[in-house]
Amino acid sequence: MKRLILSRLLQIIPLVIGVIVMNFVLIQMAPGTLLDIMTSEQQITDPAALDRMRELYGYDQSPIIQLLKYIYSVFTLDLGYSYRQNAPVLDIILAQLPSTLLLMLVAIGIAVTFGMIAGVIASVKVNTFWDVVISLAAVFFFAAPTFWLGIMLIIVFSVWLGWLPVGGMTTIGVDYGFFGHIWDVIRHLILPALSLGLFYMAIYTRVMRASMLEVFSLDFVRTARAKGLSTTRVIFAHVYRNALLPVVTLLGLQLATVLGGSVVIEAVFSWPGIGSLMLDSVMSRNYPVVLGVFVLSAVVVAFANLLVDIAYYRLDPRIRNR
Amino acid sequence: MARSASSQSLDHLYRFARNKGAVLGLIIIVIVFAAAIAAPWLIDRDPLRIVYRPEIWPFTNPKYPLGTDSLGRDILALILFGARTTLMISFAAAFTATILGVIIGAFAAWFGGWLDEVLTRLTELFQTIPNILMIMTVVAVLGQTIGNITFAIGITMWPPIARLTRAEYLALRDREFVLACRSMGMGNIRIMVTEILPNAIPPVIVLGSVIIGSSILFESSISFLGLGDPNVASWGALIGDGRTLIRRSWYICAIPGLAIMFTVLAMNLIGDGLNDALNPRLRDR
Repeated sequence: MKRLILSRLLQIIPLVIGVIVMNFVLIQMAPGTLLDIMTSEQQITDPAALDRMRELYGYDQSPIIQLLKYIYSVFTLDLGYSYRQNAPVLDIILAQLPSTLLLMLVAIGIAVTFGMIAGVIASVKVNTFWDVVISLAAVFFFAAPTFWLGIMLIIVFSVWLGWLPVGGMTTIGVDYGFFGHIWDVIRHLILPALSLGLFYMAIYTRVMRASMLEVFSLDFVRTARAKGLSTTRVIFAHVYRNALLPVVTLLGLQLATVLGGSVVIEAVFSWPGIGSLMLDSVMSRNYPVVLGVFVLSAVVVAFANLLVDIAYYRLDPRIRNR
Repeated sequence: MARSASSQSLDHLYRFARNKGAVLGLIIIVIVFAAAIAAPWLIDRDPLRIVYRPEIWPFTNPKYPLGTDSLGRDILALILFGARTTLMISFAAAFTATILGVIIGAFAAWFGGWLDEVLTRLTELFQTIPNILMIMTVVAVLGQTIGNITFAIGITMWPPIARLTRAEYLALRDREFVLACRSMGMGNIRIMVTEILPNAIPPVIVLGSVIIGSSILFESSISFLGLGDPNVASWGALIGDGRTLIRRSWYICAIPGLAIMFTVLAMNLIGDGLNDALNPRLRDR
C-alpha cells in the first residue's frame, strides 16, 4: 500500500513536466509573444522600457532556456506572474479554487447519489415502466448541452418562478450575517450544480444499471438466491457491492476533470471560479495563468488516480492480496 | 469464420434494425444531414444576414417560421446552416481522432517495448488535461476557424480510441492467423492493416460514433463561449447570442438547444445500436 502511494506520488513529476512541455510548445505556436500583448495593451513604446521588460520576463533568452527555467520555478511552487491582475499566478488560482471545488463537488455529489439510486432501481426493475422512464431520462440528460440546460433552468426557476437568483455566487451589497450568507450561497449554488449534476447523473445511472445487470447474471448471485436469501439481501449484500467498481473508476475520471469540467457552466452563471478565470485568460492571451491552471490540473489528476487506487484496494479483496 | 462476409454484414444489419432506438437515431441523423445539404437551396442568402425586425416569435410570421433572433436574423436559416457547421466539424474531428488513435494504439501494441512505453505515456499525458480546457486553448492560440476547431477537438479526443485499439491489437497480436501471416513473410504494416485491423475495428467504430456525439457538444460549447468561427452559423453561438434576451424571447435559446440535444441523442442511439450489432457478446446489457 505504501509503495503504491509512493509510486503514484512520484508519477506526478513526469506528468507535470509533460504537461508543461506540451503547453509551452502550444503557446510558442501563437503569433506574437506575451511581451507584444502586454506592451500593446498598456501602450508601451519606449525602447528602453521594452528592453527592460524583455529581460525581466526572460524573453531575451532562447525558448529552451525559458522552458527549463519555467519547469524549475514550478517545482519551487512558483507558477509565474500575471501582469494582468498584477499578482503571482498561484495566488490568483488559489483565490478562485474554492468556489470551483464547491460547485464541482456538490454537482458530483448529486450525480453519484441520485445516479446510483436510479441505476439500482432501473436494474432491479429491468424492462418495466420505471426502467424505461429512468433510462429515457438518462439518455436525454446525457445528450443535452449543460450550458443549454443551465439557461433553461434559469428561464424556469429564475425568470418565470422567481425562486432562485440568475447568477453569481453571492448577492452583492447585502449583509446577511453568517448563516444568512451560507443560505445565500446555497441559493446561488442550486442551479449551476443541478445543470452539471443532471448531465453527470445520466452517466452514473447508465454505468450503475449496466454494472448491476452484469453482476446479476453471475454464478455467485444464483448461489446466494439458492441459499434462500431474501431479494433485498441479494441485491444489497451481493450485487450492489460488486457492481460498485465501474462507478469508482468513473468517479476517478470525474475527479480528474474537477478543475476544467465547469468552464461552460461558470460562464452561464457568472460563477467566480477557475473556469471563468481560464476563459478570461485564454481570451486575453494571459498565458502564464493558462499554463498555471494546466499544471495544477495535472497534480489534481495524479491525486485522483491515487484515490481510485486506494478505493479499489479497499473495495476489492482480490487486488489487496495480489 | 465459416460464414461469408456478406451474410455476416447482413446479420449485423438485421441486429441493428431490430434495435428501435438505433433506427430512430438513424432517422434523426438522416434528417439533420438532409437539412445540412439542402440549406443553400432552401435559403439563398447568407444566414448571418439581418432580414427582418429582431425578436419575432416562432409561428407568427410565415416567412420566418422559427422567428428571428436578437439581431433580426432568420432562426430557421441559422439552424439549417448551423447543421452544416456542426456535422462538418464533429464528423471531421471524430474521424481525425479515430485515425490518430488507431495509428498510435496499433503501433504501441504491435511493436511494444520502448515505443509502447512512450506512446502509452503520451496517451496518459493527453488524458491529464481536461478536454474542454485543451480545446479552448488550442482554438484561442491557433485562431477561430472551422479548421482549427476541428483540429483542436480531434487532437483532444484520440486517447480513448488509442487505448481501445491498443487493447484490441494486444489481444489479436499472438493469434494463429497472425502467426501464419508472419511465417509467410508478410510485412509488419501489411499485417497490421489488412489482417488485424478488420478484426479490431468493430469496437473502435462504436466508440467513434460516441465521440461524434461528444464532438457536437464540444463544438457547441466552444461557439457558445464565443470562441467559434464568427463567419459561419452555429447552434452554440445562437444560444450564446440569445442569452441576454431570456426574459422576453427565451425561444432564441431554446430552439438551437433542442437541435443540439436531438442530434447528440441520435448519435448516442446509433452508437448503442452499433454496439448491439457489432458486439453481440454485450447484447443483453
